[in-house]
Amino acid sequence: MRVPHPHDFTSRLRSPAVAARVGVWLGVCFGTCFLTGLVSHWAQAPAPLLAFPTSPAWGYRLTQGLHVVTGCAAVPLLLVKLWAVYPRLFERVDVRAGRRLVGVALERGSIAVLVAASVFQLATGLANAAQWYPWREFSFRTAHYALAWVAVGALLVHVAVKLPTIRAALGSDVDDTALDRPGARRDSVLSRRALLRTTWAAAGVAVLATAGGTVPWLRRVSVLAVRSGEGPGGVPINKTASAADVLDTATDPTWTLEVRVGDEVRARLTLADLRAMPQHTVDLPIACVEGWSAEGRWSGVRVSDVLAGAGAPGDRDVTVTSLQPSGPFRRTVLPRAFADDPRSLLALDLAGEPLALDHGYPCRVIAPNRPGVLQTKWVSSLEVSA
Amino acid sequence: MTGVRWTLGGLGVALGAYGVLLALTRQDPQQLVEIALWLAGGVALHDGLVAGAALLAAVVGRRVLPRPWLAPATLALAVWGSVSVMAIPVLGRFGARDDNPTLLDRPYLASWLAATALTVLAVAVAGAVRARRTED
Repeated sequence: MRVPHPHDFTSRLRSPAVAARVGVWLGVCFGTCFLTGLVSHWAQAPAPLLAFPTSPAWGYRLTQGLHVVTGCAAVPLLLVKLWAVYPRLFERVDVRAGRRLVGVALERGSIAVLVAASVFQLATGLANAAQWYPWREFSFRTAHYALAWVAVGALLVHVAVKLPTIRAALGSDVDDTALDRPGARRDSVLSRRALLRTTWAAAGVAVLATAGGTVPWLRRVSVLAVRSGEGPGGVPINKTASAADVLDTATDPTWTLEVRVGDEVRARLTLADLRAMPQHTVDLPIACVEGWSAEGRWSGVRVSDVLAGAGAPGDRDVTVTSLQPSGPFRRTVLPRAFADDPRSLLALDLAGEPLALDHGYPCRVIAPNRPGVLQTKWVSSLEVSA
Repeated sequence: MTGVRWTLGGLGVALGAYGVLLALTRQDPQQLVEIALWLAGGVALHDGLVAGAALLAAVVGRRVLPRPWLAPATLALAVWGSVSVMAIPVLGRFGARDDNPTLLDRPYLASWLAATALTVLAVAVAGAVRARRTED
């Protein structure tokens, strides 16, 4: 068997006309993924330079839902895009080209980086959304974040290199053959228009099959969503009490919520104490980094009331500690704007019932416009600096 | 246009370099090796297995399928194949946990099998309609 040559790929479908048109939408998806990903990192930063806004309450639900849905749509787009340009993988490099060789090497190198980073981002993102971690060493969050910059950087280089071809391809009819490879001379059973329509259809199916994880009226259509949306109180669960190892501590009748200012304990509140305080009800979503979200009706006490009741100063970032013995989200920071927001509760009830153990019994944080991982469950203490 | 191209290219190199720097400073060597393996593995998996499967499907399809069925089969394969690749993590339910019945709680395999059967049926019908049209 010999190594294939670009001339061996004779279909006229594998053309710049198709690649450029699919590439535009792939670029839109990657751009959306990148920007919404940055928003998610901003939302999770413990002390961002610019405070993350508390409104709109559905903001993170929208951006993270978009992140995962456009990532899903990018899978068919990337596969068709790579199919359309596949012959170029086998283009021979003339080693006697001299100085031009440097340009060729840079271009092909940037494409290798782009393809590798794109496949990496989509594969790790899809696996993470399904809570599947087939890798052993690297941190998903760090690697997915770092490679996002690499993917977008390589994409910009690729667009810079190809800009004349992209403009020529988009500026002429889709069936124009002026830009085609010399070997692409066989008409396919499909027209280019039919292939493009099929690609849009595939991306549409990918969106419909998954978007129900965050768009309630699509729930029944989205047969491939990672959640059905069911769960205690109509809200699914990400980490269970058993997985967090809090089964005993969360059900301990001697549980109290500690309120600290600096090192000084200002109050120890029992569940009955919290229930005796003024109760408030808010409709807020749990919006998970994995892209699913669900709205709940939460009741409980305002974080600001608990702090004020214990004589803690307002306008401070609040450190929330959970009963869970370990894990990266055992201690989280509730920034001052969130702590002071009247919608931010220590929730005791969901949908009119006491919180399920897996939802964070005896009490959990629920605040507007926050990633689900920061809506700390099984809260044991609130702490502000002196 | 040259100015735009150089600006885009320069910006791209800067963003990419920042990403590499992030990875190098926030992951230890063992983790970096695994990231590199995954990057290379993704390319190899696509350029070898996925692209190879598409080529094989084209060759087999042209030999086996009568002409009226070729176009519908190609369309169907593009949609079915790409959505199936996307669905691998949920179809395998690799992340399912016994303690959490709200996670991966849909009948994925049954839905996928039903969608596959419907796709095959749609191709068969579309091809039959086209075959009859060419006869007339």
